[in-house]
Amino acid sequence: MQTRRSRKWLSVGLMVGVLMLIVPLQEAIHRTRPSLFDPDRRDRRVSAISVGPTPAVIAALGGFRTVAADLLWLKAENVWNGGSWWAMLPLLDAVTQLDPHFLLAWKVYGWHAAYNLNAESETLVDKRFWLRRGIENLERAVEANPDTWEMYFELGWTLYDRAHENQRAAHYFKQAAELPDAPHYVTRMYYRSYEHVMDFEDLFPALEWALSRHKDVAMHQKLVSRDLEWWTNHWDDPQEHRRQIVLENTARKQRSVPYYMYPDDPYWDVCPACGLPSPKGSEVCENPLCGHRLKGGPEAGAESLQPSAK
Amino acid sequence: MNPGYARVLFVLGLIVVAGIIAVTRKAWAPGAFHALPSIWRIAKITVAEARRRRVLHAVVVLVVLILFSMTFFSYLSPQEQARMLISGGLAAITVFGILLAIFVGAFLIPQDVENRTVYAILAKPVRRFEYVLGKYVGALIILGAVVAVMTAVLVGVLAIQDHLVADLPESPFNPNLGGVIFAAVMSYCSLAVLTALIMLISTVASTTMTVVSAFIIWAVGSLQSQIYELAESATGATKLVLFVIYHVMPKLENFDFRHQVSNFISYSVYSGWTAVLHGMGYTLVVLILASIFFNDRQV
Repeated sequence: MQTRRSRKWLSVGLMVGVLMLIVPLQEAIHRTRPSLFDPDRRDRRVSAISVGPTPAVIAALGGFRTVAADLLWLKAENVWNGGSWWAMLPLLDAVTQLDPHFLLAWKVYGWHAAYNLNAESETLVDKRFWLRRGIENLERAVEANPDTWEMYFELGWTLYDRAHENQRAAHYFKQAAELPDAPHYVTRMYYRSYEHVMDFEDLFPALEWALSRHKDVAMHQKLVSRDLEWWTNHWDDPQEHRRQIVLENTARKQRSVPYYMYPDDPYWDVCPACGLPSPKGSEVCENPLCGHRLKGGPEAGAESLQPSAK
Repeated sequence: MNPGYARVLFVLGLIVVAGIIAVTRKAWAPGAFHALPSIWRIAKITVAEARRRRVLHAVVVLVVLILFSMTFFSYLSPQEQARMLISGGLAAITVFGILLAIFVGAFLIPQDVENRTVYAILAKPVRRFEYVLGKYVGALIILGAVVAVMTAVLVGVLAIQDHLVADLPESPFNPNLGGVIFAAVMSYCSLAVLTALIMLISTVASTTMTVVSAFIIWAVGSLQSQIYELAESATGATKLVLFVIYHVMPKLENFDFRHQVSNFISYSVYSGWTAVLHGMGYTLVVLILASIFFNDRQV
């Protein structure tokens, strides 16, 4: 009896000892798995999940969220192949909420809204709505995946190529370029964003910064050196300024975004109606198809001050 | 918890365990030499019994078919195919592993009691804790074999698919074989913890009750981060109850690396090892309890 009782006490003592051992181990797990237990990271994950009842669904699915996201992704693929572009949105929304680390789903969601649905829309208001939606989705993607260069790059690219918000695009390209595994072209995109708006105050430091990166990649060094040399020789060349204004505003017209007016350009005035340059001080737009009055007086020949939706 | 307190607690726990082992060495050393062969014999019998059950073979064949059928997603891009195969394959391993753990763990001891096999075993010089541990080791071997077969098939399917799409231009098919094996091993560790708890319940409850409780425990154990989050935001008695549930339930989510592996996110192997150590401690406590309860049970 005595032995049996002492064995029980021995077992209880051993259990207490083991329990004391494993509590700090769990604390260590909390520290090493920030995506599960770190309040800052958890908040980011939760803020990526915006719709009300969805967190409950995510909780109910427990460890099988990835599989549920995969099944919905397959459904989205079928919807895409069937041509129902608008029906993809709720599916992509669910996929990205179930698995905020599914990078391809975020990329497709942002691209689909900012490019496809934007192009499908007929009015300027709708176009801007879808462009904004695409950018907002990519911002959520960055929030949910702060350690991945791809999401910063995707957001930067959409801002650069589609919205022509070059300053913001440069900010995200730089963040992408600073993250591990970012390819060298991301570094070059950082200064490219400043080129088209001829922001020389930021362009030259960006070129120098790009030159200091990827020293071992000969192609990168060659391209950046070429661009640095080009801008050192042409930053005050009026014809280069004209070329950049034409390129940028033609692209903006195609994308139905407002023209960039180049307020500080010393050589050219930009026509608010057609977006093309005329020599500084011109009274009328040099574009024969436009003829907009640039200084004072009523407008002549201009159809609108912004690019049309079509 | 403050990391300083955690370290103190860890060192104290080590001292307590080492002290108990050292002080009682005369008591356990001869017993241990006697116990190990008995445990091994019971484990071998358990495995032999399981091999006769056709349901185990059926489960393995089903999983193999599911894994091979997943190669039909060839219309997807290589990047998507890799993700689908990895997440689907690991989910299949986990689901069937959990089902096996529940049904193997829940039936091992009650079935022996029902068939009266346990009388024949306990009539021999086998102590009850040796019987419980033997059954547990047997269950671990069965689960290990099944998980190993399923993982080998998944790795094979990924390797074949990698070979098939290798010639496609710009195919970023990443089979992530190291990650897959790591996630499968971690999945097996979670099954080991779950099985121990199921065996503990089976020593005091009916089979139906054990199966139902096992599903609940698995669900709660897989949602520990949510429980922790709720406990942190709760107040008063609710906070206390939630923290008790959080600390008493097995931490199955600690072993879940499927999400990271499927999304090709880097994972901490150190975190895996810590989870294994934590799981071993938890399992030890659970098995001691199971032995105590089975000792007190009238068989």
